[in-house]
Amino acid sequence: MEEKIKILSLNHITKDFPGTRALDDVSFDLYAGEIHCLVGENGAGKSTLIKILSGAEKPDQGEIVLFGKTYRQLTTKQAIDLKIATIYQDVDLVDSLTVADNIFLGVELRDRFGVVDTQQQEKIARQIMSQLNIHIDPKLLVEELSPAQKQILQLIKALHREARLLIMDEPTSSLGIEETKALLELVRNLAAKGIGIIYISHYLQEVTQIGDRITVLKDGKTVSTYHKSQFTIEQLIRDMVGRDAALFYHKEKVPIGNVGLKVENYSRKGLVRNVSFEVRRGEIFGLGGMVGSGRTELVNLIFGVDKRESGELYLDGKQITPNSPRQAIRNKVCLITEDRKGSGIFPIRSVKENMAIVHNEQKGNGFIRLSRERQFVSQMIDALKIQLASIEQDISSLSGGNQQKSILGRWLLTQADVFIFDEPTKGVDIGSKEEIYRIMTDLCRQQKCIIMVSSDMPELISMSDRIGVMRDGELVAVINARETSEEELLRVYLGYQNSKEAGGKNGQVTTDSN
Amino acid sequence: MDKSLQTQTKSVSSTRLSFWRGVVENQWFLLLIVVFLISALTGYVNPRYFMQQNLFNILEQISVLGLVAAGATILIISGNFDISVGSIIGLSACIMAILINQGINEFLVGVIGVLVCIFCATLNGVLSVAFRTPSFIISLATIGVYHGIALALTQGVIQTIYGKFEFIASTKLFGFFPLLFFISILGYLFVHFILKYTQIGRRIFAIGNNPRAAFLAGINVPLNTIFFFFLNGILVGLASVLILSRLGAALPSTGAGIELRAIGAVVIGGVPITGGRGNVLGTFLGVLLMGVISNSLNMMRVNPYFQEVAYGLLIIFAVAISSIRYRWLGSK
Repeated sequence: MEEKIKILSLNHITKDFPGTRALDDVSFDLYAGEIHCLVGENGAGKSTLIKILSGAEKPDQGEIVLFGKTYRQLTTKQAIDLKIATIYQDVDLVDSLTVADNIFLGVELRDRFGVVDTQQQEKIARQIMSQLNIHIDPKLLVEELSPAQKQILQLIKALHREARLLIMDEPTSSLGIEETKALLELVRNLAAKGIGIIYISHYLQEVTQIGDRITVLKDGKTVSTYHKSQFTIEQLIRDMVGRDAALFYHKEKVPIGNVGLKVENYSRKGLVRNVSFEVRRGEIFGLGGMVGSGRTELVNLIFGVDKRESGELYLDGKQITPNSPRQAIRNKVCLITEDRKGSGIFPIRSVKENMAIVHNEQKGNGFIRLSRERQFVSQMIDALKIQLASIEQDISSLSGGNQQKSILGRWLLTQADVFIFDEPTKGVDIGSKEEIYRIMTDLCRQQKCIIMVSSDMPELISMSDRIGVMRDGELVAVINARETSEEELLRVYLGYQNSKEAGGKNGQVTTDSN
Repeated sequence: MDKSLQTQTKSVSSTRLSFWRGVVENQWFLLLIVVFLISALTGYVNPRYFMQQNLFNILEQISVLGLVAAGATILIISGNFDISVGSIIGLSACIMAILINQGINEFLVGVIGVLVCIFCATLNGVLSVAFRTPSFIISLATIGVYHGIALALTQGVIQTIYGKFEFIASTKLFGFFPLLFFISILGYLFVHFILKYTQIGRRIFAIGNNPRAAFLAGINVPLNTIFFFFLNGILVGLASVLILSRLGAALPSTGAGIELRAIGAVVIGGVPITGGRGNVLGTFLGVLLMGVISNSLNMMRVNPYFQEVAYGLLIIFAVAISSIRYRWLGSK
């Protein structure tokens, strides 16, 4: 290889968020013209690393050396001035403008009257694209483009801005095989032009194809860095998992009863495909998979939030398929959402109102008896050990853990039979986490049916009885949680059954122990 | 045992805490002080201000605005606006006046007037929900519709009712307390009861604060939103009867601008324009403050055109205060 110029080194970066250490003494570097891939599980710290490079987050410790200059932290403006371009999975383009307009957005060419020179822009856009052997009509509106074309357009936009460092976050997650191929080709082309590229993907096949080097992150730490042809997919998977026994919660064994909940044939266009499974009374059915695999979409369908294409829900043999959350709640199904702030709490209402709302809706004759309400809410607060100054205080003034427990209390008050948890301990401190696990175990003892979506593997393995794995909207496997390991689970998530049979992103896996 | 004692002391201190939080949060204390200050100043300049008759005059003057503002409190807390209230009142007043002049029973006419308002207000809610358009925009459009119908019905001619409805405006309970203000108080109490003691009240706050979370908590957001408009219609209906009684005549422009003053009063009373929080006591004091200021300016012989300026400044002042306060509460 010819002489290499180091354009980036991150030295000993540490970043704390309330309750978790997102990055722990991470070092990482990148050469001009190199494609350095970053892999890791959900929550390993990849996004935080990108955010630090794009100036969206500031590191607590460590230094960033970019093009020979050292920085403690970056601002977004500095990142742009240094020609660092970040391309996120959710596309960052203006749909109502043309391809050319998007390429020149903010740096428009003007004619001598000061008006945007559309023709010139289109001409240059066409030139840039033809150099790369891409053929998109610059006059098309972005909303008319396919997802793959949009990704490509983002690359061209970055190229036109003379990006020297390109960060790509899951660029192929919504692309088909052919489109992925074309995009990878383009990425390789850009690297050949001397641009340094950080490429993040959970499709290990892609990573092995294009990466000059690969770094594995786990729980905010760098586990390993490999050069091209030094690694195997096997090795990468092993590096991504393997945690301390201390992170696993010891769940008490609870007797499991008959089948309670039956989920049949749930589908939603493009997001969830023909998912069926059963949950027994007293059982926790975990739902795993990479972010974007359709887990949250599935539980939203079951709860009646979104319109489904097909699907029926049975509780104890009785059909209860809900068309709205209201109907779901009436049939004793409840959902504790992932997005606590956006769709869980009423931030400027009191803890009391937040907890009582569904109970009031159920039992109410239209009027609210304040003293009774105060009583049952206080009892629940004591039972869940929620820490607060007054039940009248705004719920947003509580810590994340206490907010989550309050929301849990809201649903416990409804006496539901089916509890669906979507990331039950996200953004929650260790103490509250254990408390929430204890409550879930209690629910099992009361023979409730529980579905739990989780990106936290130790949580998923230690709390679930069985784990359903979602990939590209399908339930590809149901695994007995007691007989699995993180490594096996991750393999199923990614679609690599074993080293010989590397499945690829559309590969089918048939580990159905059910 | 030790523990129960602990929780007891905790709850005592927490009620005290929530009392002071209430003072800071509800704005009512501040408003009361301002009302007293202005009154003291005006009374000093013109002692006639404190005469019983003038004080009751103020209460009578703010009665109609009070009903409209009570209704607006419900809507604004729920995250909605109805700026067509003024033209609804105009339409209803014109219809009532025409019917009275045709010799129809006064009581029946009053009922019809209220129903017209309920219908128009509810229609705003239905349209807003059906087309998923902010109610502010829908009611902006229906202003023209309702006002135009009133113009067509009256041909733009003033409809005098020759004292037919006057007894409502002229009745003084116990010989001194204006019936108008009494009805207005009933309106506040009605809204207060709904907000505090009913499931609908909880839904008003919930939908206003986080409609997505309300939906996921099993609340039918569209249907309830329409119902909030319906409730507003009842109060607007009463207001239209009172205004006709006070004026003794109706024009399509009767009530014009009242919705903006009502929204102003609600904002002055401490309801954030983004909804989700607030109470009717604040609204009452907001309305009272407007009445007091208007009366004081008269008493001090300030050019009446400046009253509009005063209202405007007052609203800006109130918004500034609440903005500063929430920033302070938020960043503590």
